[in-house]
Amino acid sequence: MAIDRIKKLKLQNYTLYIGIAMLAIIFEILCAFNGLKFFTASNIYNIISQSAMIGILGIGLSLIILAGGIDLSAGSQVALVGMMVAYALKNWGGSIFVACLAGMVIGMCAGLFNGLGVAYGRIPPFIMTLGMASVTKGVTLLIGGGKSIGALPRELGLISNSTVFGIPIFILYLLVLYIIIIFVMSKFRYGRKVYAVGGNRKAAKLAGINVKMTELSVYVLSSLFASIVGIMMVARLQFAAATAGAGYEQYAIASAVIGGISLSGGKGSVQRTLLGSLILSVLKVGLTILNVSTYWQEIATGLIIIVAVYVDCAKMRKAE
Amino acid sequence: MTEYTLEMRDICKSFFGVPVLRNAHLEIKPGEVHVVMGENGAGKSTLIKILSADYRKDSGTVILDGKEMNFRSTQEAIENGISVIYQELHLNPHVPVYENMFLNREEMRGPLLDKAKMIKKAGEYLEAAGIVIAPRTLVSDLSIAQRQMVEIAKAFSLNARVMVLDEPTAAITDKDTERLFMLIRELKAQGVSIVYISHRMQEIFEIGDRCTVMRNGETIGTVEIKNSSVDELTSMMIGKSVQFKKESNSYIKLEEASLKVEGLYYKDFLKDISFTLHKGEILGFAGLVGSGRTETAKCIIGDYARSKGRITVKNDTVELRPKKIKDSLSNGVVYLSEDRKDEGLVVEHSIAENVVLPSLKRFGKNLVSTKMINRYVQDSVKKLNVRTNSIFQEAQTLSGGNQQKVVIAKWLSTEADVYIFDEPTRGIDVGARSEIYDIIMDLAKYGASIIVISSDIVELLKLSDRILIMYDGRIVTSLENDGSLTQQDVTRCVVNG
Repeated sequence: MAIDRIKKLKLQNYTLYIGIAMLAIIFEILCAFNGLKFFTASNIYNIISQSAMIGILGIGLSLIILAGGIDLSAGSQVALVGMMVAYALKNWGGSIFVACLAGMVIGMCAGLFNGLGVAYGRIPPFIMTLGMASVTKGVTLLIGGGKSIGALPRELGLISNSTVFGIPIFILYLLVLYIIIIFVMSKFRYGRKVYAVGGNRKAAKLAGINVKMTELSVYVLSSLFASIVGIMMVARLQFAAATAGAGYEQYAIASAVIGGISLSGGKGSVQRTLLGSLILSVLKVGLTILNVSTYWQEIATGLIIIVAVYVDCAKMRKAE
Repeated sequence: MTEYTLEMRDICKSFFGVPVLRNAHLEIKPGEVHVVMGENGAGKSTLIKILSADYRKDSGTVILDGKEMNFRSTQEAIENGISVIYQELHLNPHVPVYENMFLNREEMRGPLLDKAKMIKKAGEYLEAAGIVIAPRTLVSDLSIAQRQMVEIAKAFSLNARVMVLDEPTAAITDKDTERLFMLIRELKAQGVSIVYISHRMQEIFEIGDRCTVMRNGETIGTVEIKNSSVDELTSMMIGKSVQFKKESNSYIKLEEASLKVEGLYYKDFLKDISFTLHKGEILGFAGLVGSGRTETAKCIIGDYARSKGRITVKNDTVELRPKKIKDSLSNGVVYLSEDRKDEGLVVEHSIAENVVLPSLKRFGKNLVSTKMINRYVQDSVKKLNVRTNSIFQEAQTLSGGNQQKVVIAKWLSTEADVYIFDEPTRGIDVGARSEIYDIIMDLAKYGASIIVISSDIVELLKLSDRILIMYDGRIVTSLENDGSLTQQDVTRCVVNG
């Protein structure tokens, strides 16, 4: 019986890979009908680069959701950090290091407030971070004086647009960050704490885990990842806009849920969020090649998110 | 050294000025199974929560191994060898057994988790306790009984000296109960003291060494179980035996069956429930928590989907289909939940809104007439003597008794024939209580049929014409309340099955 269970689990582990592969094959077939090719180096590059930022943002969202929370302000944190970096470059002497540091500090402040509100103020995460989304948007506009900041030094672009051994650097960021987080979540005590807090708060508390501190930490970590994405984005685009990263948290949450992280917390694994974000970008790139309008792309993405959440909820109900 | 592992002396505790524990005491010897008994509200759980440091005591002392203890947190209590295994288990269902057992005291190799070592050690603890569960199994794949065993193994691995089991058999099968008892005996042999909270006499006599009985926040006494009897324990639990002369109810029409239940099954919770409720009759349902009384009610009204069985109303002429609340409502069968705040009232809404919620149709076809509603609600508030300044007052601002009256008014507005009251006076003060009794008896007088589910036996004796006793999902006895029935008779049936 135990063997059966292991087999079953294994198969479940592969459903995501199978899903991506099937989606890709479907696109390949559809493309072939239209005389196009799906499996090309540039498309694969596009798919991975599309998912890089969502994938990194998804790490933070995964941690928060695993701990039983949610963060609706991640996307606007991205814009805030980008704007701060640009502002610092223009006004504080032009050091890229100082600018990035300033961006990180302000981004993580947002996460700190989220964490304090949720963990110590007992404000429902949905409301706390919804409010914070609005606050960060406002601060972003204040910093930029309501305008975008452009004409940034070209050296900033190196952060995002250079390659290492022919591999685009942001793909390396993605991989390195995932390897670190996978390692932390499975090999360090911290990972156990996050799972415990999201899985059964009372049990975690009884085991002597500092539940509030753990909750606080996931919000701060999440804003760290949002800051990294913010810096990557401003470096790539060479200008900062208040609308940058808008709606990214939706895709990041969707990636986590498609990857199998339960919205009720405590269940799932961070690495699969990467697969979730890959599914979303395969869909996006595939539809773009097929010349499907972005309106329909939005609709398709939305439907996939709804289906993924439905599956999650159905599983939960069955478990009851 | 004293002869006791644990002593609780002169424990007092009040909530909002109401004393819940009055100089309660408890003495636990090493390696014994010590049963704690008492009716609902006797103070058992409060005493246990003080032991586990969930609550802070007002006064008194807790002595562990001859040393006075003042735990500031549950964690501190656990570290000192006191583990409580609650009915709602505290495990993370999504991770394996071994991770739960070593939560926050993981085995490490340098800065990294040592999973192999944890799995091995968890396996050893499980084996030592004689539990056959693989440490890598996900908790969500385990049955309730198995989860309970994991909790016990966890407590054991924490070197628990005193393990408190809070009604451990309430949610598990007989076979699992046997396994649990084997485990308890094993723990006992290893010197662990077990505090066993239960009402089930059979179990108590099978597994217990000594028994402490509590009543009204006081410790009545401690007895050796092998020298005691069901009768002795029962009378210690309820004090002097009270008898009630219930006026004979001349309004019952035995030839009219308002509600008939035949061969009702619901999952594992209900087995072959059959009974008939007559017009004008008040039928009491007694039983322990988890015996299936609320489940029966919820199957009748169609909230739960019954697995098998037939439910009819109006003299066997209309059948209520499974899982169709609409059927029961349109045929005048209503349920007044034990959980007023979640299932009975929309607490943020006004009295008026709550009262007319199930009967909006009466007040206009599409557009409801506010004037009619207000007049109706004014009237019923007055009739039921709801103490309020205005019918627009929010339900949550009312006292428990007045809230219950609003719930009653709400269902009266549907002019139903069958009323099922689930714990109608839970958390309600004595004055309001007797008013609610009067309302229930009046309803029966005017031809309604009533089911009262209650854990308060005195209440059932006051109200019911007949009392059905449920045990483990079955109706085991039917007692006529003809005036000679005593509280002791009923309690004995309730705890013995």
